[in-house]
Amino acid sequence: MKKILIVFNLFLAVNCFSQNKQILYNFTSVPQSLLTNPGSDFKYDWYIGVPLLSGISANAGSTGVSAYDLFANNGVDFNIKLRNAVFSTTRKDHVAINQQLEIFNGGVKIERQDEDIYVSFGMYQEFDVFGYAPKDLAILALDGNRDYLGKIFNLGDLNLKAESLSVFHLGFHKNISKNFIFGARAKIYSSIFNVSSTKNSGYVYTIPSSTGIYEQQIYSQLQLNTSGVARYNDENADIDVAKDVTNRAFLGGNLGLGFDAGFTYYPKKNIQLTASMIDIGFIRHSKEVENYSLKGLFNYRGVVPSFSSGQSVDNIFQEFQEAIPLETLNSKYTTWRPAKFNSSVQFSFDEERPEDCDCLNQNAETIFRSALGAQLFMMTTPRIPLIAFTTYYRRKVFKSLDLKATYTLDPYSFKNIGFGLSSNFGPINFYVLADNLLEYSDVTKANSLSFQLGLNVIFKNRRN
Amino acid sequence: MKLLTIKRILGLAVLLLISISCASDLDFEQVNTLKLEPVVVTNLAYFDAKASQFVVNGAERNVIFDASTIQIFDGSFFRQRLKKVELFFELQNTINRAYSLNVLFLDNDNQPLHALNLAIPSYTGTENKTTKTDIFEGVQLDLLKRTTNITFEIVMRPGGALTDSSLGSLKLRSSVTAYLVVE
Repeated sequence: MKKILIVFNLFLAVNCFSQNKQILYNFTSVPQSLLTNPGSDFKYDWYIGVPLLSGISANAGSTGVSAYDLFANNGVDFNIKLRNAVFSTTRKDHVAINQQLEIFNGGVKIERQDEDIYVSFGMYQEFDVFGYAPKDLAILALDGNRDYLGKIFNLGDLNLKAESLSVFHLGFHKNISKNFIFGARAKIYSSIFNVSSTKNSGYVYTIPSSTGIYEQQIYSQLQLNTSGVARYNDENADIDVAKDVTNRAFLGGNLGLGFDAGFTYYPKKNIQLTASMIDIGFIRHSKEVENYSLKGLFNYRGVVPSFSSGQSVDNIFQEFQEAIPLETLNSKYTTWRPAKFNSSVQFSFDEERPEDCDCLNQNAETIFRSALGAQLFMMTTPRIPLIAFTTYYRRKVFKSLDLKATYTLDPYSFKNIGFGLSSNFGPINFYVLADNLLEYSDVTKANSLSFQLGLNVIFKNRRN
Repeated sequence: MKLLTIKRILGLAVLLLISISCASDLDFEQVNTLKLEPVVVTNLAYFDAKASQFVVNGAERNVIFDASTIQIFDGSFFRQRLKKVELFFELQNTINRAYSLNVLFLDNDNQPLHALNLAIPSYTGTENKTTKTDIFEGVQLDLLKRTTNITFEIVMRPGGALTDSSLGSLKLRSSVTAYLVVE
C-alpha cells in the first residue's frame, strides 16, 4: 500500500518533468493529440472528452538528483546525501513539474462542400514549476565562505518560476490540399497565480586583501515577481482560496493570449511529416501584483574608526540595507509561456486492405498497420532550450487498438522507453500513456516520469 | 472474439505495469534532521593610523581613541545560530615608536564584555607584526553577542620623538570567523 501511495504521489502530487508528450504527439487515435499539434491528422464527426477524465497528465523530472538520492531510507545521514546531491549537480540541472487536467474538451466537424473543417475546443488547468539548481547559493548555505576565498558565487543561480493557470482554447484543422493538413488554435490564459524570479544576476565574493583581511563585495540584481499571491500574506484579508482559484480560473485572473499552429504533410502515401508550435503566448500580470527586489552594491570593510577613515561605521546591517534595499513594488509584468516545438517524420509500412471503412487513416484507400518514426521536441526555458529526441514504433493491432512504443533521449535520461495504448470500444476511446518504463523497477530512482490517461467519446467520420 | 483479446491485452498491460513497478522505501521525515554548518568569515575592523596623526600642532598626541557602533552579532538569526566565534587581530607597526592597542567590546550600557590588549614594539626596519586570536564559545560567546559598541584606544609608548614628517603607520587588520549551526 505504501508503495502504491508513493507511486501515486510521484504521478499526481510531485508531478515532475517537462512538457514533452512524446507518446501523445502524433498518436492520432487520441483526440488529445490535437493539443500537441493542432494540425494533427485526426478526423471525426464529433467527440467529447469525459469531463475531468478526458485528459489527466502529470510529468516530473529532475536532471540532477532523484527522490531516492535524497530520501532513501538507507541509514545514510540525510545531510551527507544532501551534500552529495548539491555537489553532484551543476547550475544547468533543473527540476521541472507539469500537470494538466482537462476540464472539458470536444470537437465537431463542420461539413463544407469543398473540404470539411474540424473544430476543437476546451478548457484545461495547468500547473508548472521550473527551477534550476541554485548551486552556488546552496554551497554558501552548506559551507559558508571560509573555504571558498576567491570564488565568485553567482547569484544568477537563483532561477525559478511556478504558475498555475487555466487555458481556454478554440482550434481548427482542415485539409488545405489532399496531402496537407493545417491547424491552428487560439488560447486565452487565465492565471491563477504566478511566481517568477528568472532574470537575476549578481555575485558575492571574499578574497584575501592587503588592506583589511578580506575584500568582500556583494552585487545583487535580484527580483521576484508575484501575482495572485500577495493577499495571502495579509493576515487581515478575508481569504477563501477555493473561491479565489475558481474565480481566477474562469477568466477572473490575469489574462494572456497565445496560439498554437501545426501541420501534417504526406509527401508520399507512406511518408508523413509533421510540425507544431505550442503556447506561443504571454500573460500580462496587472492584478494582485507584488514584486520584491534586492538591488545594489555593498562592499564590506568592517569597522573603521574615525581616525582612520574620517567617519565611524555604524550598524552594518543598516549599512547593508541601505546599500541593497529590499523593495516591495506593485509594478505590472509580463511572462511568456514556455513555447514548445514538435516535429516528426514517419515511415509507414505493412499495408492492409480494410474489411470495412477505417477512418483513423487519412487515406481511405490505404491503411498501414505499422509505422516507424522520429520526433524532435524543444521547449524554451529561462536559460537554454530543453531538447528531446524520440524514435518510435506504432502498430495498429486491431482496428480498435493502437499501440505506440517510444525511445527518448532527453536531459533526464538516455534510456527512456515509453508505451502508449489507445483503444476504441464502440465510440468509447480510452488511452493510457506512460514513459520511463525501465524506471518502474524502482520509481524512486527515476529522474523523470510522465503519465497520461483519459476517456473520450468519439464518433468517427463515416464519409471518408 | 477480438474484443475479448483486446480486453486481455489491456488487462495484461496494466497488470504488468503494476507488477513490475516497485519503489524503494523513502523517508521524507529525514528533512527534519537537516543541519547546516556554514563557516562564515568577514572583516571585523581595520585602521591605518599614520605616524603624523600622533603629532598635533608640533606636539605629540599619546592617545588616539574612537568608539564605533557594531552590531555584527545582532539580528536574531545570527544570534540564535552562532555556536562559536574566532576573532583574529593583526597589528603591524612601521613607526619608530612602541604602541599598545586596547580594544573594548561594550554592551548597550557601555559595560565592558571583552577586552583585548596588543602591544607592539617600535619599528627597526624588519617586519613588525603581532597577532592574536580570541575564541568564544558557550558563556563567553553569549557575552560577546551582547556587544553593541567597540572602542579603539591606541596608546603611544615613550621613545624617540615624532614629528609631522615622521614616516610609517600603525595598521590593524582583523576578522571574524563565525561558526553557525542551522537546524
